[in-house]
Amino acid sequence: MAYEEPITDYDHIVENCTCAFCGCNCDDLTYLVKDGHVVGVRHACRLGASKVMEDMDQRLMVPMIRDDNGKLVEVDWDSALDKAAELIAGAVRPVFYGWSETSIETMKYGLELGELVGAVLDNQATICHGPSLQAVQNAGYPVMTLGEVKNRADMVVYTGNNAMNSHPRHLGRYSTFPRGYFRKRGRFDRTVVTMDPRYTDTAKMSDIWVGFEQNGDYEFYNAMRAVLRGKKLKKDIISGIPKEDIEELVESMKNVEFGALFFGLGLTHTLSKQRNIDIAISLIQDLNKFAKWNLIPMRGHFNVNGFNIFMAYEMGFPYGVDFSRGYPRYMNGETNTIDLLTREEPDVFMVIAADPGAHFPGGANRHLANIPVIQIDIHWGPSTELADIVLPGSFIGVEAAGTSYRMDGVPIYMKKAIDKPETCRDDEWIVNELLKRVQKIKGVDAKMASK
Amino acid sequence: MTYVDKPSVPNVVKFDEPMETKRDKLEVMLNTGGDIYQGACKKRGSTLKDEYRHASGTAYMDPRDMAKLGVKNWDTALVKTDWGEVVVFVAHSRDAPHEGQIFICKGPWANVIVSPETYCCCDPTYKGIDATIERTDKDPLLMADLMAEVYMKYDNDAEKSTNRLTDKRINVGKTK
Amino acid sequence: MEYILKNGIVYDPTNKINGEKKDICFKDGKIVDDVSSDAKVIDATDKLVMAAGVDPHSHIAGPKLVVGRLYRPEDSRRGIVPKTDVTRAETGFSVPSCPATGYRYSRMGYGTVVEAAMPPLEAKHTHEEIMAIPNIDVAPLALFGNNWFTLEYARDGKIDDLTAFVAHWLKLVKGYGIKIVNPCGGEAWGWGMNVHGVDDPAPYWNVTSREVVRALSQVNENLGLPHSIHLHPNDLGHPGNFETTVESMKMVDDIAKNAPLRNQTIHMTHIQYHSYAGTNWRDFESGAEDVAKYINNNDYVTCDVGQITLDETTTMTADGPMEYDLHQLNGLKWANKDIELETTSGIVPFIYSGRNSVHSVQWAIGLEMFLMVDDPWKIMLTTDSPNAGPFIRYPRVISWLMSNKRRMEMIENEEVHKAVQRKSSIATLDREYDFNEIATISRAAPAKAYGFDDRGHLGVGARADIAVYDINPNDIDPSNEYETIEKAFGNAAFTIKDGQILVQDGEVVSVKSSKTLWSNVVGMEQKEKDVMKKVMPVFNKYYTVKFENYKVHDHFVPNPIEFTVQAGK
Repeated sequence: MAYEEPITDYDHIVENCTCAFCGCNCDDLTYLVKDGHVVGVRHACRLGASKVMEDMDQRLMVPMIRDDNGKLVEVDWDSALDKAAELIAGAVRPVFYGWSETSIETMKYGLELGELVGAVLDNQATICHGPSLQAVQNAGYPVMTLGEVKNRADMVVYTGNNAMNSHPRHLGRYSTFPRGYFRKRGRFDRTVVTMDPRYTDTAKMSDIWVGFEQNGDYEFYNAMRAVLRGKKLKKDIISGIPKEDIEELVESMKNVEFGALFFGLGLTHTLSKQRNIDIAISLIQDLNKFAKWNLIPMRGHFNVNGFNIFMAYEMGFPYGVDFSRGYPRYMNGETNTIDLLTREEPDVFMVIAADPGAHFPGGANRHLANIPVIQIDIHWGPSTELADIVLPGSFIGVEAAGTSYRMDGVPIYMKKAIDKPETCRDDEWIVNELLKRVQKIKGVDAKMASK
Repeated sequence: MTYVDKPSVPNVVKFDEPMETKRDKLEVMLNTGGDIYQGACKKRGSTLKDEYRHASGTAYMDPRDMAKLGVKNWDTALVKTDWGEVVVFVAHSRDAPHEGQIFICKGPWANVIVSPETYCCCDPTYKGIDATIERTDKDPLLMADLMAEVYMKYDNDAEKSTNRLTDKRINVGKTK
Repeated sequence: MEYILKNGIVYDPTNKINGEKKDICFKDGKIVDDVSSDAKVIDATDKLVMAAGVDPHSHIAGPKLVVGRLYRPEDSRRGIVPKTDVTRAETGFSVPSCPATGYRYSRMGYGTVVEAAMPPLEAKHTHEEIMAIPNIDVAPLALFGNNWFTLEYARDGKIDDLTAFVAHWLKLVKGYGIKIVNPCGGEAWGWGMNVHGVDDPAPYWNVTSREVVRALSQVNENLGLPHSIHLHPNDLGHPGNFETTVESMKMVDDIAKNAPLRNQTIHMTHIQYHSYAGTNWRDFESGAEDVAKYINNNDYVTCDVGQITLDETTTMTADGPMEYDLHQLNGLKWANKDIELETTSGIVPFIYSGRNSVHSVQWAIGLEMFLMVDDPWKIMLTTDSPNAGPFIRYPRVISWLMSNKRRMEMIENEEVHKAVQRKSSIATLDREYDFNEIATISRAAPAKAYGFDDRGHLGVGARADIAVYDINPNDIDPSNEYETIEKAFGNAAFTIKDGQILVQDGEVVSVKSSKTLWSNVVGMEQKEKDVMKKVMPVFNKYYTVKFENYKVHDHFVPNPIEFTVQAGK
């Protein structure tokens, strides 16, 4: 990268802003603001900075509806909202997908709308850490906040995760480099281990790289667990790793003071899916007989954990919650977005703060071509190419305030730094408007809910 | 300068007698996932632009595999799986060596060829998919063109296509 | 709006009304002397009338509840009720969803619940859940017992600094009082260890539980907070722990009380779990007698019980090491949540069975405590929900307390293990609670212990928080009709909150927003500022959030009830 001059031309700064990118939710960003736009960001990583200093060329500025020729044309807010409300109110099997890049406050209205029309509410967990949540339900959930890692950890393990690319400040701010209370020398007081078939950028910065075979996760963790429990391994090489290396690794994991394991989509997206995580969780539980160990799933979006937490406290289930029967129902593989789409069940699809066009397998996306799609987002993206109604929202943590939950469950109130473009609306307002309009169509009064 | 300039990738490493093992088509294992360039490009919202096509529509390969296939950085290749086929760029992987594996960042290009099968676990199988990769002269499509060609949602004249998973004809054309 | 609740039979221990037929008038949400002839009449003829219940210790909102819900869909599926025109759908049995929590407390005639453990770093989460809970007012207690600043100031004897720190932190996190959980043990769990007894120092910090509890107790009285310290002592659930429990009470016997309403300077929570004798699970037996004796002889102590209800439930506590031990014991899935600089917590599902001798003896120990502590103002009704059983079992516990016959039946029919006769004295205790005592342990005593003067009684000026139960206390024989008792206390004829009728004939008929009770200490702003100068460098270095983003913004407390506390007064 070429050297860039520091930005000196700005009107004022806003400090302690929270990054609306990954599950690290770094809340120490400083925005440099000029003429109502963020022209520079301090402390953010490349990902965070790129999102905050967005590409205005593709910013969705006005509500749009597809016309007869298949072109998105600008309409006024009332027409767009009415049309969307009409579709939602008339739907038999609506799915409201997304939510991980918007605020808890927005979700509240979305849930009320979902309960009213009997929708399925699901979030990005369904395509990332859904299996982790299932594993948690099978095996347990020994977690901690990131500060525990910073202050205590002398061994940090990344598995199935390339933090340097997906959560670039994770090592720098929380796990590896910071000088913690009991780890005064920071990086030098810790051993970093990466377990990943790929020799990732994170592996390159680690002290130990364990490059087990593709799809060999389950076998590898099982072998570690067996060694930990005092069993002899019968094979010489397991998942591509010599048994002596496994034994040595287990020995060093037993002999730490505080270990932290971070796992990512490498475990959830391969064949054994939630079983990979099951065994990793069990490994951590077993390790606690020898040393303190905890884990944290590396959540991808800044509020993907927030949606799971929100749904759990409101309705008892984390994601993929189906209200079609008048009560919440949660059946993995049945009430989740990908399964619903491949079975071609939904008849209206609302996507808010998510991009199925970019992230769903084609086999699932194909059904979006059959049904009306309502999109609430800030940028023209792959999903816009499939959308019939587009409602331009605002940018949480920059143009609107809102609550989010970090990957370790720490809640952060993300503050507003600048005004949104005049023609856009806050997500909270949009979903509330949809709710009010659907209530009107259905002839129900706005309920005195627990708001 | 742009925030999403490509990593500096050296030219293909010349190996001993690469021609001896040269193939037209390689059987590989496909992984998908995120990297920082794709993430930055996606989240800043530059998905219609050429930079997204390069960030997301590129298969990162082991240089040995590239030599076998006789391709160099930013050549194009056709990747096929049981679920579809797509034209992407090829480039030298920063994670090499990983002979026999290719990595395509998540995005509309990878979506065409990954498995939507969740095995009742809600999560599609994005990683560890059997695939083949071969040379091609075609260029990868830009995002909007790809979406239009693959999903044909607003294309009245498109031929009817079949959803592989359900064997059902999908309704092509505008939604009512 | 004016109402008159007519001809009920009123039990109001605070105002010494013991089963009097009496009208209760209320207007604009407050109880008044008299109303005009326009007042709406609510007929409660010959029905049991009490103030709405006050739960002194329950886990209903916050991060560990959500982990419980996230990782136990099997529990969420157990309590499903579809939505109605008034209520939203309910889920959950031991860890109900937020709406279900509110409705279920309302159905039992409760109006106020104390959330017993709020980790300061995640206080916003607790407050979000409080917002999502309808119908009840919630007072969250903030965790201080393993906070690094507490450990440091307690070790160095800097009581003034700690006083200012606590005052400031209660403001930041909108907490009601000081909760202490396994002091020093939580910090030890940061390294996978625990402390044993009150004189075992935390690793590195070199401070003992005794020093921490005494320091926080002094702080509490220096500030004059409405509630005393709320202690979950060391060694929870260990055979032989009653000695630690007695010592924990003894060690603050010289701290002078500084608050007008309450009598106590220490509240011992879920005392059942802390009244065990024996040395291991084989010779495990009741140690309730010694603990009860100490409480009977000392007026500065109150306790709540944490009665085992013999259900499948979810244990959750800020006592991390204890939960890991429990996981080792029962092998069920273990969740843990350590919070930087502040606390730990753990969660394990648990099946309390009457077939199991240990669980049965635990059941007996809880009842022994209820029956052996003479003064009902010193002991309160809880199940430490959901640890010993979900709060919806309170009516059943009431029926046990009112019926010796039922208790003997359970023992004789072997609904509980026969070990209870050998290992506890439950079979020899024939005391039965009367309605006045029930009203005391479930409303009057908790309200007094928390310094609530606006609830827990039916005197003029109190909030119109009223429960009416469909039994005639003059007619019924609770000893024989225990099933009727359980049913009536579980399905209030009326629950009225701030003058609004929420429940009628056991059904939720309307909902209202919850309120948050918190303590605002005023008068020591300069001291707080001074101590923050010392706190901030440490905060900035070792927390992973910025101070600006740490506090609970007013946004999360839309309906506050602020208890203004004049420091030192």
